[in-house]
Amino acid sequence: MSLLKPFSKLPGLNTANILLVENQEQLQHMLADVLVKETPLTVTVRLAKSLPLPVDESRPRIDLVVFIINLTSELSFQSAEDSLKYLDPGYFLGKVCFMVTNARHASVPTERLDALRRLAASLHCPLLFAEDQTPEGVIGAAERLLTILKVSAGVVPMTTALYLSNLTRCTLPPDIDQPSFD
Amino acid sequence: MDESATRLLQRIVRRTPTEKLKATLEKWDRLTAAQRRSVDFTEPKWALIEKLVDACKENEFKMKHITELEMILVIENPNQGMWYTFQLVDPEDDAQSVDLLQFQEQFKSHLRELKRNVSVKIKKHTDQAVWIRIAWGDSFSRPNHLKPTYVVHQLQSPYIFVSSLTSKLKPLLLQALTFSTRHLAIKDANLSGRKLTAIRDLLMKEYQQVFPTKYPSPLAENNQTLSNLNIEREHAEASANRHRMAGEAFGDGTLPELQFAVYKMETKFKDPTNVAMTERDEPFRCVVKFSSTNLLESLRHCAASGLASTPVTPLLSSIPLKGRNYFVITDNAPGAASRAQQPQI
Repeated sequence: MSLLKPFSKLPGLNTANILLVENQEQLQHMLADVLVKETPLTVTVRLAKSLPLPVDESRPRIDLVVFIINLTSELSFQSAEDSLKYLDPGYFLGKVCFMVTNARHASVPTERLDALRRLAASLHCPLLFAEDQTPEGVIGAAERLLTILKVSAGVVPMTTALYLSNLTRCTLPPDIDQPSFD
Repeated sequence: MDESATRLLQRIVRRTPTEKLKATLEKWDRLTAAQRRSVDFTEPKWALIEKLVDACKENEFKMKHITELEMILVIENPNQGMWYTFQLVDPEDDAQSVDLLQFQEQFKSHLRELKRNVSVKIKKHTDQAVWIRIAWGDSFSRPNHLKPTYVVHQLQSPYIFVSSLTSKLKPLLLQALTFSTRHLAIKDANLSGRKLTAIRDLLMKEYQQVFPTKYPSPLAENNQTLSNLNIEREHAEASANRHRMAGEAFGDGTLPELQFAVYKMETKFKDPTNVAMTERDEPFRCVVKFSSTNLLESLRHCAASGLASTPVTPLLSSIPLKGRNYFVITDNAPGAASRAQQPQI
């Protein structure tokens, strides 16, 4: 039960390791099935319900941590928030991202999305929106994760995770505190 | 055929879907073959009703024939209405030897002693259950067949299921049932629901249960061989543990469908930051109600997915364990430091 560190181990040859953290353990299985099909690069997917992870010396270096948050569930958001403190600060240099599902659901309070935006912006992490009801949506989400994963695993020449995160990180709209007009 | 019998027949036909009606009429077996052939089930309901009423008048049916039809319908569709459960306690020595004939005679005579103008009909169903239909009247009016009470009891079992019983008539019926089954007392079993079969299965434990074991079954590891080598579940052990404990509390496979569970709290308010409420002598009363189309299934999923903490709290696991869905919760020991609460009667 310790901090997860990004640089404590050597990377494997032509492999990328991604950790999917989801409290409800639904989308992560679907994503994992798509992610491991990637051919030139060996992608290993590790699934977790929340952090901290159990102690395991053989665990490889994890290149990207994805928090999957179902916006209809308060618990899902809180669990992700609680898990964040078990990550080494080094991860926030481009190796963490948030993936949101059900953001268009009618029962979602708008404050929750705003809170999540603030959280992602304060941690300089990208915030991705995904659709989990159809296979196409899952494939699309997996492809976006893969693009980030390749960069953070260091297999894309001329770029780094830190560089990419400067471009993809979530930014707060300046009028987020204004009362909305609708 | 008198006015009230006609009205009952009309109501039965109106409330029953046509496909069901056809099978039921065949089962009833009172209409002659020619009459049955003349009934056209594609006609609209009002025409159907007219034809059936005419046929019944022709055969000079009485109220008892029509109630028979209603009983067949209710027995075939037991999952309608609200069913309440009562439990017989303190059996007398000869309670085990009560047979249907004796019960029938005893029940009728006991009930007639308590109340005049009661119409009772008893039928034994194939699955050993005795179905009783009671139409209540009072000393000046004839039995009201439009609002009958149904009672289901399996002889030699301690449980009795009752539907649509008014609180005024409850003591009379319970007394008659207690005497005629040769028991000394009867109590509310605190279980109710919309599905009679589900309630019965829960009480008789006729669903797939899991018994607590220290060693998981040797088949457990087979489940994971199919998954991809590149996918690793970090919390696999914990989640398997949660599934096992949820299974231990609520059983495996399909569960009886309960619609709700009610917890009535009569505990003291405990919150160190709220002194005014904590120091009140009276208990803090509130009612917590869980409802779902299949409550036990939902609770099992909550425990298995980690929404509810495991091991499952006795408050939830005692629904299948004790076979009840109404609990009154009182403080375990007044003033004790432990916050453990036990469901009591």
